[in-house]
Amino acid sequence: MIFMLAIVLHSMGSFCSRQKPYNEADAEENEQAEEIERRIARETKAEQHIHKLLLLGAGESGKSTIFKQIKLLFQTGFDEAELRSYTSVIHANVYQTIKILFDGAKELTQNESDSSKYVVSCENKDVGEKLSDIGSRLDYPYLTKEIANEIKTLWNDAAIQEAYSRGNILQVPDCAQYFMENLERLSETDYVPTKEDVLYARVRTTGVVEIQFSPVGESRKSGEVYRLYDVGGQRNERRKWIHLFEGVRAVIFCAAISEYDQMLFEDETKNRMMETKELFDWVLKQACFEKTSFMLFLNKFDIFEQKVQKVPLNVCEWFKDYQPMASGKQEVEHAYEFVKKKFEELYFQSTKPERVDRVFKIYRTTALDQKLVKKTFKLVDETLRRRNLIEAGLL
Amino acid sequence: MPQYRQPPPPPPWALEGGGQVLDVETAVKDGILGATAGGGVLAGAAGEKLELKKMIDELDPLDDIPAVFICPISLDPMTDPVTLCTGQTYERGNILKWLSMGHLTCPTTMQELWDDTVTPNRTLLQLIHAWFSQRYLRAKKRAEDVQGRAAELVDTLRKAKGQTRVQALKELHQLVTVHSSTRKTVAESGGIGSVSSLLGPFTSHAVGSEAIGILVNLDLCSDSKANLMQPAKVSLVVDMLNEGTIETRINCTKFIEMLMEEKDFRSENVSSFSLLVGLLKLVKDKRHPNGISAGLGLLRMICSHKQVRSLIVSVGAVSQLVELLPHLNPESLEAALQILDDLSVIPEGQKALKDCQQTIPNAVRILVRVSETCTQHALSLLWAVCSLAPEECAPLAVEMGLAARLLLIMQSSCDPTVKQRSAELLKICSVNYSESHFISKCKLTRTIQ
Repeated sequence: MIFMLAIVLHSMGSFCSRQKPYNEADAEENEQAEEIERRIARETKAEQHIHKLLLLGAGESGKSTIFKQIKLLFQTGFDEAELRSYTSVIHANVYQTIKILFDGAKELTQNESDSSKYVVSCENKDVGEKLSDIGSRLDYPYLTKEIANEIKTLWNDAAIQEAYSRGNILQVPDCAQYFMENLERLSETDYVPTKEDVLYARVRTTGVVEIQFSPVGESRKSGEVYRLYDVGGQRNERRKWIHLFEGVRAVIFCAAISEYDQMLFEDETKNRMMETKELFDWVLKQACFEKTSFMLFLNKFDIFEQKVQKVPLNVCEWFKDYQPMASGKQEVEHAYEFVKKKFEELYFQSTKPERVDRVFKIYRTTALDQKLVKKTFKLVDETLRRRNLIEAGLL
Repeated sequence: MPQYRQPPPPPPWALEGGGQVLDVETAVKDGILGATAGGGVLAGAAGEKLELKKMIDELDPLDDIPAVFICPISLDPMTDPVTLCTGQTYERGNILKWLSMGHLTCPTTMQELWDDTVTPNRTLLQLIHAWFSQRYLRAKKRAEDVQGRAAELVDTLRKAKGQTRVQALKELHQLVTVHSSTRKTVAESGGIGSVSSLLGPFTSHAVGSEAIGILVNLDLCSDSKANLMQPAKVSLVVDMLNEGTIETRINCTKFIEMLMEEKDFRSENVSSFSLLVGLLKLVKDKRHPNGISAGLGLLRMICSHKQVRSLIVSVGAVSQLVELLPHLNPESLEAALQILDDLSVIPEGQKALKDCQQTIPNAVRILVRVSETCTQHALSLLWAVCSLAPEECAPLAVEMGLAARLLLIMQSSCDPTVKQRSAELLKICSVNYSESHFISKCKLTRTIQ
């Protein structure tokens, strides 16, 4: 019996020792799993304090410019490497612009009744063809002084200027004038783009870009933490938006009010303002934005100011009931108030009564002006902070 | 070796045994009569009474007058205290009247008087005078102080930025609300212009809410008001009306009302969705009855401009106001009914009234119950609804007891148009019923009771 007991004990011993490494491995795994859980919990908690801001809007409404401005204002801005990375973009913009103008002038000679004013002068014709050719390539050459001078001469051609004045039907980018005027500087051999150059640079955003920042108050070091998402605005990019729609604190919807007489890049039969109107309506009705604050940036006011005195608002169907009242600065203000009221009307018509409680504010912006963007964002920040306090029952 | 120190000699006015002879000032100053630090003024006896009367009148009602200064007969502070032989002190006029009525007793002790002479109590008069003077001077100083402070703040506002600016505005807001004397100071030192210039498209809520709080308390001239009517400023006020605390909302409402009183006010300034939606939110906020009445007041004013009426209807004001009616106090009820009455004039308003389920019940309940004006308006609403869709609405109204009330109005009202309206409405309602059936519906027995 003792012998049997010894065997049993022995086998028990080995049995136990076989179990021990199993338990240890198990415990280690558990330990790791727990650590991961803890980390997930911590990060989720931290995430809750980060406010998600979404920049939405039609193509070329100024979303990316606002994005760049925020980067300049509240992060470390652009270092030299980043600035240099924009050189090729800026040069590309120059080539694209001059090509659009030259090809546009040709088109206008064919379609317009008084075609003679769009005919490029003989000495510039060849240069024009060459540049148009360059512009259609996938890779652009570096902008040398030589080419820059040729572009400059062509830009100054009367026909090209006439074509530029019809820019609204030709898809001429808004940065055209700025870059054309700075051609000497842009074509320097050791050209490093300035902050302003970078703000004007135009790249069609594709996909999603994000930055995290904290707006620094006057006497406070730490304010709220925001994460800003920038997206592409063209139609084919919009299907990617839906992935970002959860848990958004505020939508910053950019609408370029200067484009009431322009057509879409992706569909030249559609008026841009009408597109913006429909897009805004669509965004407002999204179920996930029930409690989201909406900040409407009526952008490109500087261009609007100039345009509204020459091109009446009624060319856009949405604004067809506009009655001009005065002239000069008063008229600009009157026109702006009219556009603002239209957007307000759209908001309240698209918003169900239960949702009327969400924050909706309209801001007049010129995304290229850093001071203005800073002031505007300060107001946005204040509104969101107050909203937080109200929701927490502290106000 | 420790030095022997002689105890200090007693002050010349100190009595043996520790008692003290006090002069009037000290008595008042050292708090024997409840006064604190300050100077007393001892005027000559002649001009004293008159000055004293003035100071008594201007005294802050919150200040507690010491009991010994009060005449037991009139319970007013004494301006000419006289003492009887019993040692009790009264106001001269009052005790002489008492004695002239034939009483020969001391009013407080009920003792019989052995001597009907009255002796002026100069000591007490001096004390009373000193106490009131002190209070008077202190109040005057405080009043002047606030005006000085207000002028200082207006000056600060010209240069301050950021947090300093917000703090200065907050303090000025406080001063202007509490001390009416500062309002003139602010106006005279150019404060209106400075504060108005702070309002613009980039004004933060903190600055804007205080600025409006200040402006609402001041008397603004037409020019200032015209300056404030710029669309950007009005937009700011509308935003704050939507987002601010209840005080800010009420201030914004009052501000807009103030602007609307100007002759050249254009109704387009208030035909803004945001404003109307904000006002409706304010009006529905049951926690703040002040807000409700302020909101209704402004809405009524806006509604009087015909061009804005369809906009008001389109934001759903009609149904929201109708549903609010049972919860309002009489004053607010009148305002709400006036608004609905104005809106019933346009076709969209009429339709909205008909579509709202609560219109008829709520309106019928108001008839005769509250006031003549409310009845008039309610009647007008019912008429608008029933004349639009008699088949639908009349039966419902009659079920609610409309007929009986209409009869009551026709009997009791003094206004012939009201009577006429009631009669017409009664006719509309009775169209579908036979006479006997209708009479039973009228529940006449109850009316007679």
